[in-house]
Amino acid sequence: MDSVGYHLAFWSLAVISVGAALGVVVSRNLIHAVIFLILAFVGVAGLYLVLSAEFIAVVQVLVYVGAISVLMLFAILLTPRAARDNAETSMRYPATILMGLVTAAMVFVAVETDWAAVLDDPVAESPRVIGQSLINEFVLPFEIAAVLLTAALVGAIALAREDPEDAPLHDESLAMEARRPGPHGPGPSPDDGDGGGSA
Amino acid sequence: MTIGLEHFLVVGALIFGIGLYVALAKRNAIAVLMGVELMLNAVNLTLVAFGRFTVTDVALSTQVFVMFIIATAAAEVAVGLALAMVVYRNRDTISVDRINLMRW
Repeated sequence: MDSVGYHLAFWSLAVISVGAALGVVVSRNLIHAVIFLILAFVGVAGLYLVLSAEFIAVVQVLVYVGAISVLMLFAILLTPRAARDNAETSMRYPATILMGLVTAAMVFVAVETDWAAVLDDPVAESPRVIGQSLINEFVLPFEIAAVLLTAALVGAIALAREDPEDAPLHDESLAMEARRPGPHGPGPSPDDGDGGGSA
Repeated sequence: MTIGLEHFLVVGALIFGIGLYVALAKRNAIAVLMGVELMLNAVNLTLVAFGRFTVTDVALSTQVFVMFIIATAAAEVAVGLALAMVVYRNRDTISVDRINLMRW
């Protein structure tokens, strides 16, 4: 555990994660902040590898880097009239004080406590062990997580779906959609409805 | 100097603090969600570090726990971003200091 490569991996990944998290704070562009957030996620995934939690590292890259970041980029791009300067509210100074207190307390506890940490060999074939305990000891939380994900999926779609009745008036494409007469084009197939069949 | 549990805990604490600041102080609602994700990542890192440096009854139960946290975080961010979309559609802004509909 004390090889040079281990030290190098830990320190570089720790600097990358914390530095990228700081980049989320200081960058003045929301898109850049998301890029820094992706970098922080990748750094934390590397730290999982250092902790020999390979499966969690892969899940981290899949879910956070692959899905959540893209979802956030989509949300930013779908709110074009919102401010993108990544500015702070007037709560900046109370938040700074609270952040300092919380971080200082946690770092103090982490450093000063005698954790009696034992480090034995990492579990071999950890994805297999995780999978087996998911369907043995943790089968009920596993099913509840499935229900939760389905409910979140349905809820997100139901929330984000545009209601046709209260569509905003300034949206011109929707207004044109409303003015257009209902079934358009005599063609039987939908492919040549507007292109050549109307001439 | 050997790298022990406290090194990972300090990294987790730093990321958690930064995420706390982002969640509390940023103006854009999506940036607030980014802070929440940073905090969840810090907690996951701390959990995996504790699992690596302790002996548990069920092998790798901390990593299973972290998997559930990741699943919950994915659900949370999906619903949160959908809420941000709804607020943007109705109010034309997602600045958290301008969403004052319920202010008395």
